[in-house]
Amino acid sequence: MSQAFVPVRCRRARPALFLAPAASLLLLFFLAPIVIDVGIAFTNMGESLKVTAWTLKNFDRILGADRMIPLILLTTFLYVTATLFFFNVGLGVVLAITTTAVSDRLGALFRGIWILPRMSPAVIYALLWIWVVDSSPQGLLNQVVTGIFGLAPLNLRNDHPLLVIILANGFVGASFAMVVLTSTIRSIPEHLFHAARVDGASEWSVLRFVVLPSLKGPVWFITIYQALSLLVTFEYILLITNGGPVYDSTTYALYVYRRAFEGGHYAYGAALAIALMLFGVCFTLLQWRLFGDGMNRTRPRIEVL
Amino acid sequence: MAEQSSPDWMALARRGRRHRMIFLGTITVFLTLVSLPVVMPYLWLLTMSVTTLGSAAVMQVFWRAAGLVAVLYLALIVLPPLMPERFRTWVPAMAAAAAVILTTLFILPLTTLNNFRFLWNPDVMAAQQGRSSTIGELPSIWSAMGNSFALAGTQTALILITATPAAYALSRLAFRGRETLSRGILLLHAFPVMALTVAIFIQSYWMGLLNSILGVVLVLTTLELPFAILILKTFFDAVPWDIEMSAVTDGASRWQAFRLVVLPQVSGGLIAVGTFTFLRGWEEYVYVTTLLIDNSHMVMSLYLFWVSQDAMGADPNLIAATGVIYLLPVVALYVFAQKYLTQISFGGIKG
Amino acid sequence: MAQIAFEQVSKSWGETEVLRPMDLSIANGECVAILGPSGCGKSTTLFLLAGLYAPTSGKVLFDGHVVNGVDARDRNVGIVFQSYALYPHMTVRANIGFPLRFQKVDKDDLSRRVVEAANLVQIDEFLDRKPAELSGGQQQRVALARALVKQPNILLLDEPLSNLDATLRMSMRAEIRAIQRRLGMTTLIVTHDQIEAMTMADRIICMSRGAVAQIGTPDELYRRPADTFVAGFIGSPPITLLEGDAKGETLHIGTGAMTLTASTAGRITLGLRPEDLRLGAPGQGGLPARVVTVEPLGREVLYGVETAIGRLHVLAMAGDAVPPAGEPAAVQIDAAHSLLFDAGGRRIPNLNIRP
Repeated sequence: MSQAFVPVRCRRARPALFLAPAASLLLLFFLAPIVIDVGIAFTNMGESLKVTAWTLKNFDRILGADRMIPLILLTTFLYVTATLFFFNVGLGVVLAITTTAVSDRLGALFRGIWILPRMSPAVIYALLWIWVVDSSPQGLLNQVVTGIFGLAPLNLRNDHPLLVIILANGFVGASFAMVVLTSTIRSIPEHLFHAARVDGASEWSVLRFVVLPSLKGPVWFITIYQALSLLVTFEYILLITNGGPVYDSTTYALYVYRRAFEGGHYAYGAALAIALMLFGVCFTLLQWRLFGDGMNRTRPRIEVL
Repeated sequence: MAEQSSPDWMALARRGRRHRMIFLGTITVFLTLVSLPVVMPYLWLLTMSVTTLGSAAVMQVFWRAAGLVAVLYLALIVLPPLMPERFRTWVPAMAAAAAVILTTLFILPLTTLNNFRFLWNPDVMAAQQGRSSTIGELPSIWSAMGNSFALAGTQTALILITATPAAYALSRLAFRGRETLSRGILLLHAFPVMALTVAIFIQSYWMGLLNSILGVVLVLTTLELPFAILILKTFFDAVPWDIEMSAVTDGASRWQAFRLVVLPQVSGGLIAVGTFTFLRGWEEYVYVTTLLIDNSHMVMSLYLFWVSQDAMGADPNLIAATGVIYLLPVVALYVFAQKYLTQISFGGIKG
Repeated sequence: MAQIAFEQVSKSWGETEVLRPMDLSIANGECVAILGPSGCGKSTTLFLLAGLYAPTSGKVLFDGHVVNGVDARDRNVGIVFQSYALYPHMTVRANIGFPLRFQKVDKDDLSRRVVEAANLVQIDEFLDRKPAELSGGQQQRVALARALVKQPNILLLDEPLSNLDATLRMSMRAEIRAIQRRLGMTTLIVTHDQIEAMTMADRIICMSRGAVAQIGTPDELYRRPADTFVAGFIGSPPITLLEGDAKGETLHIGTGAMTLTASTAGRITLGLRPEDLRLGAPGQGGLPARVVTVEPLGREVLYGVETAIGRLHVLAMAGDAVPPAGEPAAVQIDAAHSLLFDAGGRRIPNLNIRP
């Protein structure tokens, strides 16, 4: 029965082959555009998409000549802080705590409702907001305002565009914190709740002394993560107010897009975009410093193949 | 120690019950009120899709439906826990039956399916839009839906084919630069992709990919890739090493071990990432509108946008019906895949 | 201080009944252990008592008053949880003082009582640390101090020692018992460890599959177990149970037979504890046997021997002269300590085998 040991031809895995498809896509459509963007920023590319000269004019414009930029930055700051504070963090925390305090069924229902805006396609969600704040008496909000409170119809999209985009983004944004924090609350050991009850805590005190303290770490993470996300996305704003009237609700990210595509100032848009990219990368590196990058660093346990 | 007088247990029990009711009542009322602004617009969308604008029926249907939802909410969700055990089965059943009857009697007669006529008569929309539209005639909704399916489907397939082996390599193969590469992907995941619209537009123009579904698919796939790789990596990380070690010991190559042993363990992750990618492709607007600049390739998001933007001839009921058709697959897919989607950990949800 | 009683208390989660209707009475100041394998409903019993679970049926009584609807926070019970359940974001001081926050206690009084409680369990030097900076044993002491600081009527300990290592467990056992004696409060200890139950409690409630199997003193449970479950669960190394058929005064087991002290009939189970058997050389009298396995336990050696009535386990002191494995031997039985159970597994009192 004994058999000579014949080593099988060594078949080493080639990581390059596993990575090649993804890597080539990333190179071609992710890294190349970054380089192209930086390149275009130094040209005078306009509507004709032709490059005739290399120039630094775009950067001069960002740093001084463009009178819009201070206004845009102010709008961005107001939009991000208000949305973040009241909705993405504030409402998210409240929703997570309240939906886990009631019965599972009721909690699941309300979490489902708050997920709805996030899973709706952006165009539909924006359309709903346009209808809600419609300036005619038929607008949903105006029906409530005039019908129930007897006030004059509102035209929020025109008079308070910033408020509209804060509300619209906040209603979507609240669900991120809600989902993340719900699982944080779920992972609090049940014994802690029991201990607090036995120690004499009321239902409210349990929320205050057991649930709330456990959210501290995740809330910081959410704040940073969502701040970045609010800064760099503009889909709902584009669809609901298109940044208007004029530039009243245009955040920086949307400004980049509008400059490039509304007037065909591609080179200027590319230059503006560089600031956004740099900001995004720095913000992420800061986040890693503060919270770690959350990456699993266990070494592969099969080393030789 | 001195003998304590026994407390009034009855009073304590009453107080405890009262406190519990106040606590749950307050929270339930709060959640109900704060959620109204989310629910109402969707109810409005539904109402609009089954009524005709200008008729008194719109508001009647809306408020009746709202009332019906409120009653069902109370009878099915809020009240049952408060009822004695013996009522808990038949009260919700009665409520459901009553809801069906009330709907049939008071809501259905006021509604119409006329708004959905574009589904079986594609020319209606085109004819109606064509007259006043500045953008020329719209293609039928079926072609937009077909394009959306093709776009989202191809994107999903491409993502799964490219991200899965990459995630496996980053998670389980030992090679130099593995950690650096992983961090690179992580950085790309956090990269503000919306800032790349300009460059990608120019690049697509140079590459001749403007106005082509394929171009959009390639771009969207790539921008979603870091996320897909990272999520799949967490799934691969969770597969026990023992089974792969035993497969390799049994004579499989790493590729075979990956395909035959490890891959089946992460099927949940594949479904989750696949669903997520499909939904993203289905709803994408910014890149689609940037890269498909003429209307030769209409997808659902553009279609709905154009239909709703056309201020002159826009028929809100038609728009609402289109919206419902656009939303339905999302809700269905979401409900179907929910248990998989919830396995996606931290940071997995788009901000 | 409180006297506790259960009247037909049961608990179900949906369709599954985790606790069958149960009667129970614990005297004021008594220390009682609830002993049983995991999943037998012992922790459920504890939580029902604390008011964390509501009974599906039946009444929980404190000093003769029904307390079913009373919130956990109004029952004045202290619990030490298996995981200690310390609040991770609070210092030891805040943890111990937490229960006093909800009583009308002024600041000076509060800090005095916290220090007192900390002194009692000897952790006063760690008052300003966070739980994560403490060892398991220290955390356990903090949990105990937190349970004691509000001077509860009832102290409940849920597997209090299971997360400690063996030496620490022994010293904590004695310490908790001493504190309980000193403060004299009604105490319930839930445990799956019979040594813990036997050493700490005045009485033991032995539970099996959601029902009480037997209530009695440690000695009663050991010497006069109510049924085969208690007999098998208590005693280490475990008792040997052999099934046979009785006809008159003869009990047939396997190919052998034993003589009973009284006549009976039907399926009978004979229980023999390893420590009640002695192993000797053949020819010294007793049941002829052959040594099959030898398991040194340190101070003692556990032998497995094959006899006509089946495989027996015999505990002998290390160093005793016993035949090596494979050799013939003889087993002498301490007949007075033999246990006999009827077909339903209940012990038949006043029945033994004859020597």
